[in-house]
Amino acid sequence: MSEERREPEGTRSPAFRRFVGDTVGALAFPLIAIVISFLIGAVIMLATGNNPLTAFGALFRGAFGDPLAIGRTLLTATPLIFTGLAVAVAFRAGLFNIGGEGQFFIGAITAAWLGVSLGSLGPLGMALALLGCALTGFLWGAIPGFLKAYFGAHEVITTIMLNFVATYLATYLALNPLRSEGLVPGTATIDLGARIPFIGLGLGRANYGLLLALVAAVVVYLLLWRTRRGFEIRAVGLSPGAANYAGMRIGLNTVLALAIGGSLAALGGGEEVLGVYGKMSIPFVYNIGFNGIGVALLGRNHPVGVVLGAILFGGLASGAQEMQFSTDVPLQLADVLLAVILLLVTATKLVELIVGKRARALAGTRLEGGL
Amino acid sequence: MTERETGGETAGATESPVVLEMRGVTKTFGATRANDEVSITLHRGEILGLLGENGAGKSTLMKILYGLYRPDAGSIFMDGEEVEIHDPKDAVERGIGMVHQHFTLIPPLTVAENIVLGAEPRRGAALDLEGAIKATEELSERYGLRVDPRSRVADLSVGVQQRVEILKTLYREARILILDEPTSVLTPQETEDLFSVLKELVADGLSIIFITHKLGELLGVSDRITIIRDGRVVDTVKTAETNERELARLMVGRDVLLRVEKKDVEPGEPRLAGEELVVRSNTGAVVVDGVSLEVRAGEILGVAGVDGNGQTELAEALAGVRRAESGHVYLDGEDVTASGADARQERGLAYVPEDRGKKGLVLDFHLYENNTLKTYDEPPFSKWGWIFPKIMRRRAAEALRAYDVRPPDPDARARSLSGGNQQKAIVARELSGDPGVIIASQPTRGVDVGAIEFIHSQLLEQRSEGKAILLISLELEEVRSLSDRIVVLYAGKLVGEVTPDATDEELGLLMAGQGSEQETTA
Repeated sequence: MSEERREPEGTRSPAFRRFVGDTVGALAFPLIAIVISFLIGAVIMLATGNNPLTAFGALFRGAFGDPLAIGRTLLTATPLIFTGLAVAVAFRAGLFNIGGEGQFFIGAITAAWLGVSLGSLGPLGMALALLGCALTGFLWGAIPGFLKAYFGAHEVITTIMLNFVATYLATYLALNPLRSEGLVPGTATIDLGARIPFIGLGLGRANYGLLLALVAAVVVYLLLWRTRRGFEIRAVGLSPGAANYAGMRIGLNTVLALAIGGSLAALGGGEEVLGVYGKMSIPFVYNIGFNGIGVALLGRNHPVGVVLGAILFGGLASGAQEMQFSTDVPLQLADVLLAVILLLVTATKLVELIVGKRARALAGTRLEGGL
Repeated sequence: MTERETGGETAGATESPVVLEMRGVTKTFGATRANDEVSITLHRGEILGLLGENGAGKSTLMKILYGLYRPDAGSIFMDGEEVEIHDPKDAVERGIGMVHQHFTLIPPLTVAENIVLGAEPRRGAALDLEGAIKATEELSERYGLRVDPRSRVADLSVGVQQRVEILKTLYREARILILDEPTSVLTPQETEDLFSVLKELVADGLSIIFITHKLGELLGVSDRITIIRDGRVVDTVKTAETNERELARLMVGRDVLLRVEKKDVEPGEPRLAGEELVVRSNTGAVVVDGVSLEVRAGEILGVAGVDGNGQTELAEALAGVRRAESGHVYLDGEDVTASGADARQERGLAYVPEDRGKKGLVLDFHLYENNTLKTYDEPPFSKWGWIFPKIMRRRAAEALRAYDVRPPDPDARARSLSGGNQQKAIVARELSGDPGVIIASQPTRGVDVGAIEFIHSQLLEQRSEGKAILLISLELEEVRSLSDRIVVLYAGKLVGEVTPDATDEELGLLMAGQGSEQETTA
């Protein structure tokens, strides 16, 4: 009895230590990148005659200073979690999903259509609309998967091209068959009863789509590390040769990984329509799909990392407004900071040069595997 | 030139001046000391064998000499003068030539073009092709390295390509030649040819460092042997005064069973059979061309042959990883041609692939994930689409311990293991499922002697338990010592069947495709 009890402990403690080490290692690198980029930002501010401390203070206040600011940050982060996950899942299968933007638009137009047609059903209509988003996104995402698996078309090219098809298709639908009578071009407004409700708590317009995004992150985690499908997706991504040797179907997993990614990004689009705007007006929000790539990159293609990365993106976006308001530093500096962070996260060798090899060793093997 | 004459030269060679000395060379990678105060000397006109297991540090030392790595400490002397070698260009200028294990020739170019590449004779601004051909002819005449300067490298056999590599270094006036595992791609006859060429070269005043992990061949060709283990020089011995057993002990650090003991097992029913198999490679070429074979319970059928004669594709077609163009595969009498690798594995077929890094393991997976790479979708590891890492871990811990994988930590990543332990992890996975049929494709490629010993004894144990084993290997010794029958694969065809006591010559001729039609069934 006592021996049985000792054994799992003996095996767990090094595993636990490794888990902590992995986590610290995974976080260390993006954190270093963030610190360096803020230093660079400070230099830019000094050079343009601003006080970095005041500016960064305003940036932080605008991002996390009060419930309203936090709400704004979370509101911006929510769709980015979806599009970030869309990139991460595909990446785990060894695929670059650049199609998040188009998939996001497909989700948005699906939600705008179903939200209006099922609006009378109230919350049930909302749930069905979201399901519809997941479905259309799945099918849309599967297209480059099929092209890759059965015709060898590179997914980077096809997903980029399909972005154009999707955004113009959604725009066409919103402006023609689904166009409303209203002044603003776009679809009709969805009944309040069928919208995603606000969280409240003084968080402003932050809605329960955030909860859905967090659930999606958990689902992605479970999918990847607790299911057969995820096991196959990760094996295919890390070593197609070994996956094939083990009898796994590479084509099927390619299609599924991109399709699942598609439905995640589409849910992001659905959340924006059902939770934020209540309709798809044209022009719609742009770049959320593309920013998902940065979020996934920053989050090392791990669901937890994606959530943290999305919050950083959201925080910088909402804090920048406050920074511009109370100092002379323009909004665009936040974009510069983000760009530098992403640059450093990708250019691992550069950081190695700046902070020395120790930090890089700390970041561990994941780095090599991650990118 | 006979062996005795070389022996006579040995004594002379050690007297002759030292052309190269590496003194106290140390090189660390992270926490590992790849070279720890390593010192070697090389005399003019001698062949120095550099013996050690994979990962002992031979290659690191030679990469330092060739300017690919900078040492952390230590110095290099050439002709008594201290030198610093910054890059391969430096090394070449100082007269060091290296023939890598994987050739660096450009297949569509001719022999002469390859030889002069990077140091072309010119006539004005144009390449002097005639000059290149003449230079090549002169060199090949002088050293007895027969090649046709005008033929395309792509059309040459591996043995001749290696000759071109050597000529390339001679054209750059190498005085010191480093050969990295040069015999791994050669038939026994080609190896003999290479050795006589090397003896000719040293008679002409060149000095050669011959890197290998094969004991036997060093005894035939070298003058002295430096043994490296765990990054340190263990000893340097005169070839004439040593033997295989002593070398093995020095290399591994303990006594080693060089020959495995094989019990008599009465072979039973055929368990694995291939019938008229035709298989294409990834490039679409037919590389297995009508192979039929049968492996019975309790026997090991060895497939000998030089690399690239269809071994990989044959194994993959039998295992179901690759679709056969035509023909049939039978497992225990049932036609499984239509079923995939997964279904065949569930019917009790184990397959140890020849490439552990690209096929056998997902290197960035944990060991427990690798241990269930084929059974992740079966109970108790999986139910209703979910997988249970805890159970996987527990089962992996047992298997890793039973097969002596170090470290036996299911959470370690496969990449962090040594080659030998990676291979043992694959063997653990494949054999712990109690398979009826085992396909082992180069199961000991690039692993240390200890792991070889272990894997061989595991295969023999499976044999005595009545399993049918197909052993595909490039190592003649391995095929010979384990197999009950040996077939030879040449250009995608089985060109003969022999018993394990067939001579090297007999096997070598078959491996070279000669004697194809006259089957020497014993």
